Amino acid sequence: MKQLVVKNLDMVYELPKGDSVHALSDISFELDGGRMLTLLGPSGCGKTTLLNIIAGFLGPTSGEVHLGGDKIVGPSRERGMVFQQGALFEWLSVEKNISYGPRMRGQKSAEYGLEVERLLDVVGLSGFGSKQVYELSGGMQQRVALARCLANDPEMMLMDEPLGALDALTREKMQGLILNLWNDTGKSIVMVTHSVEEALLLGDTVFVMAPRPGRIEKVYELPFAKAALTGDSREIKNSKEFIEVREEVLSFIWEMEEEIMGREMA
Amino acid sequence: MDNSGPQSTIGDSEAGSKTKPGSRNLRSDNKTVTFGDAAAVRSLPWWALAGAIFVILLWFLATTAWGFPSEFKAEVDAQELMTAQSDAEEAGLAIPSSTHVSDRDYYRLCSLADDAQCDVDGFTQIVSPLTFPSPSDTWNASTELFTDGYRNVSIWKHIWASLWRVMRGMFWGCLVGIPLGLAMGLSSKARGFLDPMVEGFRVIPPLALVTLFGLIFGIGDSTAVPLLIFASIWIMIIAARAGVRNASLSKVRAAYSLGATKPQLLRTVLIPNALPEIFTGLRVALGVSWGTLVAAELFGVSTGLGAMIQQAKNFSRLDVIVVAIVVIAVLGVAMDAIIRLLEAIFIPWQGKG
Repeated sequence: MKQLVVKNLDMVYELPKGDSVHALSDISFELDGGRMLTLLGPSGCGKTTLLNIIAGFLGPTSGEVHLGGDKIVGPSRERGMVFQQGALFEWLSVEKNISYGPRMRGQKSAEYGLEVERLLDVVGLSGFGSKQVYELSGGMQQRVALARCLANDPEMMLMDEPLGALDALTREKMQGLILNLWNDTGKSIVMVTHSVEEALLLGDTVFVMAPRPGRIEKVYELPFAKAALTGDSREIKNSKEFIEVREEVLSFIWEMEEEIMGREMA
Repeated sequence: MDNSGPQSTIGDSEAGSKTKPGSRNLRSDNKTVTFGDAAAVRSLPWWALAGAIFVILLWFLATTAWGFPSEFKAEVDAQELMTAQSDAEEAGLAIPSSTHVSDRDYYRLCSLADDAQCDVDGFTQIVSPLTFPSPSDTWNASTELFTDGYRNVSIWKHIWASLWRVMRGMFWGCLVGIPLGLAMGLSSKARGFLDPMVEGFRVIPPLALVTLFGLIFGIGDSTAVPLLIFASIWIMIIAARAGVRNASLSKVRAAYSLGATKPQLLRTVLIPNALPEIFTGLRVALGVSWGTLVAAELFGVSTGLGAMIQQAKNFSRLDVIVVAIVVIAVLGVAMDAIIRLLEAIFIPWQGKG
């Protein structure tokens, strides 16, 4: 699996009235292949901007991103994206959604048919291939989105709050699914999330970001994701170590939010 | 697997049929708020029927003159029969055993007759049969039109002429308008270039151009069809443009990150995504096209429902005009129903996102 290298990334959004927002400031890091990175931080800290730059949807103001030595200049099937919701194609069946990538490359159903069946099984949707997307619940739609991304066999999966719109119970199940996919496929995953618990449980690397200018404030290397693969995730979330880290991150984010509020009031 | 599994989605349709067998009143599903609950308001079929009957009843009451003396009617009938029989004899045709006299003719003869018994001023009526044909006169005119045609031209020929014009106008309006609208939705240059034309031309009523188009294209179909294209093209451009603008950024980005090229994105994401707006545009354009067509046909064409109305006007055949109006209404409703059927087939996801 390829290494992700982010070098001196700067992103400045120009606003109409001559103002500008420093969304990212001098971000640099390296992420080895096969890692799960979660990005956490208060709103406006640039975590989605960072994800969109890695995906190639946005070009940075300065700096570079490389995957396996190749500079990222635009979106590519090497880096599959899973969105929060509404990114499935309603006019296509579940099967056609999943096989979208292979079909765009000109593959025939004889070539991708078995793979689609396998992926449906992997995400727990066997027998739903011929359903229409709008007939599925929110959780099932996100399973389709994961399968669609995997069907392209990307180097890296990027996820923008993939579970943000789901209810708590479905969310927990989907976290298990993502962990298993990560372990089984060995792909790198970069995930943006608002949930501190989710970020700490799923990420073997966690970046806590701070706003104005957007920067990486803290980096954690955590053992919980590996442990959750074999153990009970709820037990892990209740363990002393997990709670300690969670409280530390929460109070840190809370302080940042307070500071922002204070700055805006002044 | 998933707690929100297939049961929950399929269950929706079943939930509807599981209502208590005894509860006939739709509003009594344990709802405490009923008045003002707009989502629960629907067009009840029996009330729709009552509404239709109400219109016809009103028409009947308003246009029927009551109180013709029966002796007078019999006299008119006998005279008309005699005339018809002698006409037939002269022409060497089969001699009719009865004729039909319209309410309008009774009224006209009655008002002309020097007969103290027949005083139209004494009749109870709202609209004179001379001004607006009664339902029975209209019915008789329609049977006549659908069997013999009007002035030796079958009504089907008129209907087809109008339909064919509408279809040609809509076809070219869509063929040119939809790609232009897509281009306006996708390119700033195209939008800048086309914006003044679209904004300027779309507010011009097509009828204002009848004379001008007649001079440019010549009278007849060569004016009617361009006029219909003019009526529909701006609507289709705006509909297609709105459809493209509606595409969510995440769908577009998803397609790119799955490896789609620009032409593939257009074909597999942007156009399907624009279909709901395009269909809405079709329905609007169809309504405007019918309105424009009938008016356009008043000038310089010999077939078509508008032309039929124009000819009937010259002969004061108000009943024929009313039949033509009803036919236009039925055609409009039928074509709209066809488009809605196509919507259900081609965009089943609409409103379910």
